[in-house]
Amino acid sequence: MKQGFLLLSLLFLLSAVVGFAADDEFLLEEDPFAEPAPASIGDPLEPVNRGFFWFNDKLYVYLFKPVARGLRVIPEPARVSASNFFSNLGTPVRVANNLLQLKFTNTGSELARLLVNSTFGLAGLFDPASSWGLEKKNEDLGQTFGHYGAGPGFYLVLPLFGPSSLRDGIGRIGDYFIDPLPHALKQEEMLGLRALDKENALSLDKDTYDGIRKHEIDPYLFVRDAYAQHRAAKVKE
Amino acid sequence: MQFTKRFLRLFTAVVLLASTTAVASQGPLDQARATVDAVMAILQESDLEKQVRRERLSAAILARFDFAEMSQRILALNWRSANGQQRERFVALFSDLLERNYIGHIEAYTDEKIDFVKERVQGNRAAVDTVIVTKSVEIPISYRMVHKGADWKVYDVVIESVSFVNNYRSSYGEIVKKEGFDGLLARMSEKLTELEQQNGNATEP
Repeated sequence: MKQGFLLLSLLFLLSAVVGFAADDEFLLEEDPFAEPAPASIGDPLEPVNRGFFWFNDKLYVYLFKPVARGLRVIPEPARVSASNFFSNLGTPVRVANNLLQLKFTNTGSELARLLVNSTFGLAGLFDPASSWGLEKKNEDLGQTFGHYGAGPGFYLVLPLFGPSSLRDGIGRIGDYFIDPLPHALKQEEMLGLRALDKENALSLDKDTYDGIRKHEIDPYLFVRDAYAQHRAAKVKE
Repeated sequence: MQFTKRFLRLFTAVVLLASTTAVASQGPLDQARATVDAVMAILQESDLEKQVRRERLSAAILARFDFAEMSQRILALNWRSANGQQRERFVALFSDLLERNYIGHIEAYTDEKIDFVKERVQGNRAAVDTVIVTKSVEIPISYRMVHKGADWKVYDVVIESVSFVNNYRSSYGEIVKKEGFDGLLARMSEKLTELEQQNGNATEP
């Protein structure tokens, strides 16, 4: 197990170096607002990834989405409150990663949010902190690795969890250990909590993935490149 | 006679002045807002016939988007190697696909508030930053525009830091690499046929 992790870390470092060789061969003309060259991400495991993408797609269509649609009978404000509650529970991971990136202002803001929302926000059901100018500062371990120069490595589609990368996948595992919740709860309770969180979020979402499935000529490539761009931007923040 | 001539001259001057200020006051943000408002208004007209609705949406979007510029940016090097006919075909297919896609996006958010936050202008290019505020999230959408004549035209839409142009540049680029330019065109037109059939069945909510 330990050796496996070592090997993974080594692989990860290696890919961080490779990740710097970005392709920027084409510039149309001087454009102050041009987005930086597409955050390209290597995809050596494409056949496997496509397999899991297909699997996740079916899960979405036949299980997750119908459940989320069912949840929509619950009035929206209640589901927004549930989403606030889950988000409040995620504070420790955000605090740790803001701290790891030495973003002290954001760390303080996250701690203040936890305090305000857990008390005045009735155990996190409401988010009064946001209206006081304390906005959520999302950070995870994948972003922390990125902050210190690690590239995404290569693209991964995780069964159940969806798009990720070598870096962000390792980050997920690390975040799991940082988070106090899994230590406090039984495994099946944790699973239930996460599932509820995701389903609730899906019920609030405006069918983003359905749009992609419907409109894109290759949804796999679209999701992959969007993920790469999105994460690259998050790391830069 | 002299008087009429003078009057006419003055009149033209006033009209010219008025029209230039009118155009000048319509910065990229105002123009983008006008288009989004127009699209929303058409979407909210419930008693419109499907075909009419589609045509009016298409006209509103076409007036504000520069699909040729967008296509060039997406295809990048592949644009240079494509011949005139292929380019034309791509622009036509792509604009149709993107229109439907964009309408789909906007349609999902008709009940939400769209804030036009600010415009940043630099030379003949501009970025117009907007935020869709829903009850649970805020989604930043930025329109990248280029000045053409009196109009500002959109050549990229950046949703939550994901640029449409960049996204299509990588995914279409990969399809061209594997299946050739004509392969890409074939897949695009297949997709359009598929979308048309779905719309024709009128099962959509």
